[in-house]
Amino acid sequence: MFGQLRQWFDSSQTGKTPDYRFSLANERTFLAWIRTGLALIAGGLACAQFLPPLPVAHLREIIAILLLVLGGLVALRAVDHWVRTERAMRLGTDLPRSRFPAVLAIAVAAGAVVIIIAVLIQVF
Amino acid sequence: MSGPCPEHVRDPGACAEVRRDPGASAVRTRLAWRRTGLSAAAVGLLAIRPAFRPGAGPAEWLVAAAAMVTWAAVIGIALHRAAELRTRFPGPAPRAIRAYAVLVAALAVLGCWVVML
Repeated sequence: MFGQLRQWFDSSQTGKTPDYRFSLANERTFLAWIRTGLALIAGGLACAQFLPPLPVAHLREIIAILLLVLGGLVALRAVDHWVRTERAMRLGTDLPRSRFPAVLAIAVAAGAVVIIIAVLIQVF
Repeated sequence: MSGPCPEHVRDPGACAEVRRDPGASAVRTRLAWRRTGLSAAAVGLLAIRPAFRPGAGPAEWLVAAAAMVTWAAVIGIALHRAAELRTRFPGPAPRAIRAYAVLVAALAVLGCWVVML
């Protein structure tokens, strides 16, 4: 954990500079993840402000906080993945693999199913 | 594209390669920074919304001010990076990227504060 965190702030230029187009592609991927995180944060804020009070106490706030925390995690994970990809390109090793996109997709899909069920049985 | 190899490119072979790129990837990256700034603006607007409701107190004003400062920093970084991307061989920007991610995480924390109010 701390080794990975140190890697974030390690500005030593190991290996050789990759083709700048690949660096920029990595940067765009990072920005796309940041937008995903920002969308989750906006969704959380919108939940808190536009949902009516739900029958279950504090459920609205819990949904909002879950989305906000998920958005923050996506942002931090985005920079971690950017660092590891940049390092792999410099050292000429395989690009880092990640289960995170799959986990996020499953979490979002599960959330959608829960909301569909809630709408069908008219919880709201 | 021609000219001397920039300092941050250590491998001269890479320079010969990038001459075939008419700068499209730099433009795409610049637009990606712009888009991200716009997404951050949406979050900033949602975060300051409670401050304009009737009965808003100092807590709402404080969180709105913090959200605006964070958003201004986000836009500042994006503009700075966009200017950097106009150079012939834009280098990576580890500091801008780290700062951006930390600021977005800070927006998430501010959002939690807004929800708790």
